[in-house]
Amino acid sequence: MTVEEIFAALEEKFGVKREMHDKWGVTAIVSASYLHNVVQFLKDETGIKFDMLVDIAGIDYLTYPNHEGPRYAVAYAFKSMENPGARIRLKVLVSEEDLKVPTISDLYANANWYEREVYDLFGIVFQGHPDLRRLLNHVEFVGHPLRKDYPAQKRQWLSTNDYLLPELEKRLETLGYRVVQRSKEVETNDNEFLEGSIKA
Amino acid sequence: MIVLDPNGEKLNLMPLNVGPSHPATHGCLRFLAAMDGETIVASVEEIGYLHRGFEKMVERGTWQQVVPYTDRLNYCSAIMNNIAFCRTVENMFGVEIPERTKVLRVIVNELSRINDHFVCVAAAFQDLGGTTPFMYAFNPREEIMCIWEKLTGARLTNSFARIGGLSRDSYEGFEQDVLAALNSTEKALKDLHACLDRNRIFLDRTVGIGKISAEKAISYGWTGPCLRASGVASDLRKDEPYYDYETYDWEVVVGTQGDCNDRLQVRLAEIEESVKIVRQALKRLAPGPVDIVDPRIRVPAHKLAYQDMEGLIGRFKSVYEGIRVPEGEYYCGSECANGELGFTIISDGSGHPYRIKVRPPCLTQFAAFHELVEGGLLADSMAVLSGLNIIAGELDR
Repeated sequence: MTVEEIFAALEEKFGVKREMHDKWGVTAIVSASYLHNVVQFLKDETGIKFDMLVDIAGIDYLTYPNHEGPRYAVAYAFKSMENPGARIRLKVLVSEEDLKVPTISDLYANANWYEREVYDLFGIVFQGHPDLRRLLNHVEFVGHPLRKDYPAQKRQWLSTNDYLLPELEKRLETLGYRVVQRSKEVETNDNEFLEGSIKA
Repeated sequence: MIVLDPNGEKLNLMPLNVGPSHPATHGCLRFLAAMDGETIVASVEEIGYLHRGFEKMVERGTWQQVVPYTDRLNYCSAIMNNIAFCRTVENMFGVEIPERTKVLRVIVNELSRINDHFVCVAAAFQDLGGTTPFMYAFNPREEIMCIWEKLTGARLTNSFARIGGLSRDSYEGFEQDVLAALNSTEKALKDLHACLDRNRIFLDRTVGIGKISAEKAISYGWTGPCLRASGVASDLRKDEPYYDYETYDWEVVVGTQGDCNDRLQVRLAEIEESVKIVRQALKRLAPGPVDIVDPRIRVPAHKLAYQDMEGLIGRFKSVYEGIRVPEGEYYCGSECANGELGFTIISDGSGHPYRIKVRPPCLTQFAAFHELVEGGLLADSMAVLSGLNIIAGELDR
């Protein structure tokens, strides 16, 4: 089964359309409601097993010339380990009013961080994500910097470290531990800690 | 904090913060570990300390102005990033670069790979307390650095590649310098293997530490030497060959255990393969042009600006307006020292990139860090970290 045939199968099964902007490879435009099923199909049921998620990229089309349709898009790139060289990309269009995409972090372990990154930079919410926090930017950062209307020269005052203790407790719980008594540090007023010691 | 473990036993865990500026967390990485004595029970990571907004910055300049930024991704092998980016844009143009440029790019690619792997192995050993191998590895690395100085004018951030060619041709005596560097690389490899292979302390610290299975590594999107150490023979130079890599005689190096020792040994073995490739490439290096002749892609030679109206216009247009990359979006991955460095490029057909998304190989590897260190000793986490070769520049962008 070639990638083209898989695309044809996707077209038949899920009614996906081809992204004509990708003149060099195969990109399918998937609606958000089908995304999880399509990815599962690509991963487990197709002749080529797309078992590696290579990348997730957010795109903001705000200033794209003559662009029609939703403002944002999330582009997924997959490749296959069993059939070296086989690649396919998926694209979900996300409108400004409804910034939601279902998560695929239950299918690919690295989707967790990739989705956090897209959330951080574009503000797109991944529904069902276990831990949707900022990844690259600071915890106090306001806004989403890779949106086209975020000015590149804007400055923000960031004063404190990321607060990881609650995350550590979460991680312990996923490993089967149960926190009986929290560390003293966690008991401080969370809001005060996050606002930082130096107020702007 | 007091917790009940899965068997219901009460444990008193100590949260321990490591990094961001710890000498062994090369660059700025931070993780918070819950310690039971010396053992890490759980760990969470935080990244972003070196986030400079690469993807935002490149949207402000022209396509050619992206090249120096790519230097700062993986600064241990800067030229590889240049070439990976330029290759992506050249593929969008659909142009074929001259034969000499292909061979030269293979040579500098593989020399960069040698450099990068040497840094990784040397730093890993340094973190475990061995200074001698560091010196062994840095001698040939210094020779390659001197080649970079002569070839590109810079040691670290070279900006050597250009879209549609190279910033300049190689210098006279380049071949001899490379051969000399290869010879000392091979000598250093012997020394390193003598230091590492049967060193009880090193083996105790690295064998069986930070193990990861092939399935898990694939699920985490690992690429490059770290994935190959888990036994997956995946190398873009073989799988999706470019620059005629398939015509050179070399092997994909694969490990068996997927532990820290394998990750370092795979890198050492890959240096050997790179030496093989460079030796063959040097034989193929025939005189010829290095830039494609097309003022819409590669800026015309400087002397043409004084002789020729077309050349003057070409230089003026490509500097002021930038080259115009065909509209569309494209993903292309190249095999860099740490794995697949991919660029998703969205072009609106103007002289500026609309959006460039980098797929750094380090990010996926560091995302699995907690799985590697949990259950191990705190000291082992440092061995794991340096074995992964996390470069904060490309991790945080």
